Amino acid sequence: MTSSLNAAFPDRTTTAPAVVAHQLIKHFGDLEVLKGVSLEVAEGTVTSIIGASGSGKSTLLRCMNLLERPDQGELTIADEAIRFIRDPEGNITGLDRHQLQRLRAKVTMVFQQFNLWPHLTVLGNVIEAPMRVKGLSRRRATALGEHYLERVGMADRRDAYPAFLSGGQQQRVAIARALAMEPRLLLFDEPTSALDPERVNEVLGVIRGLADEGRTMLLVTHEMHFAREVSDQLVYLDQGRIAASGTPEAVFEDPRCSQFVAPAA
Amino acid sequence: MDFSWLSDPFYQGYLWEGFVNTLWLLLVSAVGGLLLAVGVALARLRGPRPLAWFTWAFTTVIRGTPLLVQLFFFYYGVGRLLEGVPGIRESVLWPLLRDPFFFGALTFILSVGAYSGEVIRGAMQSVPRGELEAGRAFGLSSFQVLIRLWLPRALQLCLPTLTGEMILLLKSIPLVSTIALMDLLQAANIIRDETFLVYEPLMLIAGIYLATTVVLTLMLRLVELNFPGMRPTRRRWLPISGSGA
Repeated sequence: MTSSLNAAFPDRTTTAPAVVAHQLIKHFGDLEVLKGVSLEVAEGTVTSIIGASGSGKSTLLRCMNLLERPDQGELTIADEAIRFIRDPEGNITGLDRHQLQRLRAKVTMVFQQFNLWPHLTVLGNVIEAPMRVKGLSRRRATALGEHYLERVGMADRRDAYPAFLSGGQQQRVAIARALAMEPRLLLFDEPTSALDPERVNEVLGVIRGLADEGRTMLLVTHEMHFAREVSDQLVYLDQGRIAASGTPEAVFEDPRCSQFVAPAA
Repeated sequence: MDFSWLSDPFYQGYLWEGFVNTLWLLLVSAVGGLLLAVGVALARLRGPRPLAWFTWAFTTVIRGTPLLVQLFFFYYGVGRLLEGVPGIRESVLWPLLRDPFFFGALTFILSVGAYSGEVIRGAMQSVPRGELEAGRAFGLSSFQVLIRLWLPRALQLCLPTLTGEMILLLKSIPLVSTIALMDLLQAANIIRDETFLVYEPLMLIAGIYLATTVVLTLMLRLVELNFPGMRPTRRRWLPISGSGA
């Protein structure tokens, strides 16, 4: 299984950032959610986005695999500039579907509500995308899936259906599902917000382990203590703008966000 | 009660033919109708506007008019019109086009397509958006999301309702006795006309319908129970609610 583990980091030698976002702007109707946000996630590092509800954290994260399409800006994901379709004024009106599907195989996501597929078993959930998107054989995908289920401590439940699992277990399966694509970048959208308090730590433990392995990750989280502990870079978003960013220490001490983070830290 | 006619091989033959025709009509209409229903649901949810509008009109007309009227419309109306088309009697389709079974199946397929199409549309709309979004986020194409995630999930949600639709379909089938198709009711009518017994043949075919419904219900229940990912609380063999399950 070591060979497949190494395959998880095919680009360790490159120094290019996993993702570069430049001046992203996003509207929902009249509401401007992102007002020109630039962000860079270096290979092998962990970045956490923090901020109040409605500050645009999730929208920013969801722009990184284009579940949300920004209205303006530039985006480079896994060394590939996104080919946006633009109108004469430079507003983004569309995407290149083939490029999109290729990139989404390299940037996978863990959702707040897990979003497992309830009609597939735990293993079925994990091998679905490797088989259908990357074209792996069932045998290879299963080996890969079992490896990552082992990694999150869910190998013994491989044949269970999601409805039979606790929230924490479901989220660990969702993490295995994201890992099995062996992505360049892992996105986490408030991965513990839908969990019972006693289940939060089992999921944070898995994420911490991934950070220690040196995986490239971008998180949106309300767990301030955790964000400070695992992140190399912290981004504090306030009303659609980056109010502060840098090392966790620097951001936590920044007066602009001390009000926000102090009570939780 | 006089059931002595049951030993008559002619009547046995009618009843058997009626039973077989009923089952065939059920199978053909269920399979064809459910395929059409998926198309109807998709057209209404994702189709281009004219197609969505057409499907809405189709559904409204089929659901808004009596099944018997539709059956007559297709058999006596469309069927007679087709007879007048030059050369149609020489066409390879002619044996099909003068067969009441064809018009019965056509009517039921359209009916199931309209009713179950609405059921499936509702089920597709109630599949949580996040599950489909997860499919997209992992790079699945729209078609893969539909085939692998959306439709199976919708089916899981509306399977009990579709079971009910199939049972209603079974009991709509006697309508075809009005277009000279040998189904169970037609067999009972012939027996009545020849023996002057009214209740006995009706009771017999009512019993056959009841038994068929029970078997059909149990079979579909088996499908439901074995559908991947069913919740543990719904894994009850007999669809009877009560405490202590």
